[in-house]
Amino acid sequence: MIGELLTLIGSILVLISALGVVRFADPLARMHALAKASTLGLLLILVGAAINLSDMNDITSVALAGILHILTSPPASNMVSRAIYLERDATHTNDVIDEGAVTLARYRAGGSGSSA
Amino acid sequence: MTQAAFVVLALAGACFAYRLSRGPSLADRVIGLNGFLLVGMGALAVHAAHTGIGSFLPALVALALVGPISNGMIARFIERLGG
Repeated sequence: MIGELLTLIGSILVLISALGVVRFADPLARMHALAKASTLGLLLILVGAAINLSDMNDITSVALAGILHILTSPPASNMVSRAIYLERDATHTNDVIDEGAVTLARYRAGGSGSSA
Repeated sequence: MTQAAFVVLALAGACFAYRLSRGPSLADRVIGLNGFLLVGMGALAVHAAHTGIGSFLPALVALALVGPISNGMIARFIERLGG
C-alpha cells in the first residue's frame, strides 16, 4: 500500500518536471526543471518498488539502479548545460550575472581553459 | 493507485514528446529524450511494484547506465557545432 503510494507521488513529481520542461522559456531553465525534480521523482518510484518487492535479488537491482542514476545523471546534466551555455545562438534571458564569460572567452580563443 | 501512476507517467511522456518534437534547438530535443528515458524507467519500476515480478529490473540498471552516456555524447556534439 505504502509502496504504491510512493510510486504515485514519484510519478506526480515526474509530471511536474515534465510541465516545467514544456512551460519554461529558456533551455537552461528546462534543464534545471528536468535534472532536479525528475531525479527525486524517480528515486521515490524506486523506493516504492523496493518496498513492494520481496525477492532480495530484485531489491538489490532497484538499489543499484537508483545509485547509478544518482551517480551518472548530474555529470550528464552538467555536460548538456555546458553545451547549452557554449552554444552561440542560445538566449540567456535568465542570466543576471554571467560568471562564465571569462571561461567562455578563453574557450572561444582556443585556450586550455576547457576540456574540449 | 497503480493505474493512476501509469496515467500520470503517460501525461509526463506526452509533455516530453511535445518538447522532443517541437524543441527550438538540439539541446531541447536532448532534454525531451532524457525525459522519455526517465518515464520509461519509472514505468518499469511501477510495473515491478504492481506485479511483484522483478524480471525487468536488469533493464532498469542498463537504462540508468546508458542514458547519461548518450546525453554526454550529444553534449559534446553540440559543443563542436557551437564552438
